[in-house]
Amino acid sequence: MKKSIYIFSDGELHRKDNTLFFEGENGRKFIPVENTSEIMIFGEVSLNKRFLEFISQSEIILHFFNYYGYYVGSYYPREHLNSGYMILKQAEHYNDDNKRLYLAQKFIEGAYKNIRQVLKYYQNRDKDLEDIIYCIEKLGELINGTLSVNELMAIEGNIREYYYKSFDVILNNRDFEFDVRSKRPPKNSLNTLISFGNSLMYTTVLSEIYKTHLAPRIGYLHSTNFRRFSLNLDIAEIFKPIIIDRVIFSVVSKNMIKKDDFDDNAEGLILKERGKKIFIEEYVSKLTTTIKHRTIGNNVSYRRLIRLELYKLEKHLMEEQGYEPFLAQW
Amino acid sequence: MDMKVTGTLMQSYTICKRQVWLMAHQIIPDQEHPFIEMGRIIDDNSYDRDKKKLHFENVVIDLVRSDKDNFLVGEVKKSSKAEKSAKMQLLFYLYRLKQSGIIAKGQLFFPEERKRINVELTETNEKEILNAINEITDIIDREKAPDFVKIPYCKNCGYREFCMS
Ligand code: SF4
Repeated sequence: MKKSIYIFSDGELHRKDNTLFFEGENGRKFIPVENTSEIMIFGEVSLNKRFLEFISQSEIILHFFNYYGYYVGSYYPREHLNSGYMILKQAEHYNDDNKRLYLAQKFIEGAYKNIRQVLKYYQNRDKDLEDIIYCIEKLGELINGTLSVNELMAIEGNIREYYYKSFDVILNNRDFEFDVRSKRPPKNSLNTLISFGNSLMYTTVLSEIYKTHLAPRIGYLHSTNFRRFSLNLDIAEIFKPIIIDRVIFSVVSKNMIKKDDFDDNAEGLILKERGKKIFIEEYVSKLTTTIKHRTIGNNVSYRRLIRLELYKLEKHLMEEQGYEPFLAQW
Repeated sequence: MDMKVTGTLMQSYTICKRQVWLMAHQIIPDQEHPFIEMGRIIDDNSYDRDKKKLHFENVVIDLVRSDKDNFLVGEVKKSSKAEKSAKMQLLFYLYRLKQSGIIAKGQLFFPEERKRINVELTETNEKEILNAINEITDIIDREKAPDFVKIPYCKNCGYREFCMS
């Protein structure tokens, strides 16, 4: 399996013949082209066209984050897996309101059920979450009856509101109180972690989409404006609760990330480098954790589960097999 | 004659009809798959001295070597386990060459096993190729891919995760 490379230091990315390296404060570090699928850039890094040319040839994606850790954008090389057939199918399911709503509902259903699974896990560990779970289940029952994507988004918003209330119960840590969801800028530590984690998730899904025949600009739940990536946001909904939120719970409750890992700033509260690194380490170890897969018959990593989700979506678009979202079993 | 049929499709045809449809719709498997990588490397390194690529209609032939009067079309393969499909692919090339007036013989190379097999177009296998071309055309023209039915080959197939997800 190819790897992701994370660059935190400042420096330059270079190409020399058919090799790539990063020249930073601590010297030169080679990037194994054959073994790399994406480079996540957090530091101040410069690069040139020769570098981009080789990156494109090698089918490596670059994801850029700014100083504060917010996602800036991706360099998504010319798609190497192209299928006119699949793009037409993808558009067909977008243009037909019923087909589009069906997929949007499935993504929210997946998010909802995985959220419930996370909550049940903590309920079994004696956290008082009964009321919240009850409210979320009531809302969850409404998903399949929605008549428009907007109505669906409203329900999703309500579910999330209750869900975030549960974070205080689960963490029970005064330094990480939820209060209210604030995105730009995030006003407290928990919001900062959620925003940071979600952007990681979006880029991971985007990198997986690159390995399929799906066009990342055609999403179903998150409206498509054909300029931004949106399919990755759709698929990320399913995995956020079981990957990002679990990473958050673990770094906070094990005291791996503490109050002084954040800096107050005009851009809101930001996670310092140490914190980012710890978060990413936990995230990567989650992505590489394997579970037994029912139909494939062997162990697959969480990262692979994302790919399989995309394959299932492709088969849905091909009208082979109705799409059903991945549900965590524990 | 339908030009949608390629040597690769002919090769898939003897393995799995679903694979034929998927390939023809440019749904090609994930290139990280170790078996595909292996095929690529063997392709690149073996028999370098003789290596030539012949672009022939919509077909790319891996290796061509000719002594004075005879054309010899060679195909390099990873293992002779899939001999039948390799043979059909090569016969298909020979058939296409014959259509444009070139009579050639074929040879399959299995570098890892140091094995060579001669392949020749006869009346019987020419008929077989024609049948196959017709059937492949039918498969490609179908609205949907043939259903997934598990076969022993799935284990090593690049589409495995796609089909089983
Ligand atoms: S996995 Fe099996 S069914 Fe699917 S294309 Fe490969 S051989 Fe055919």
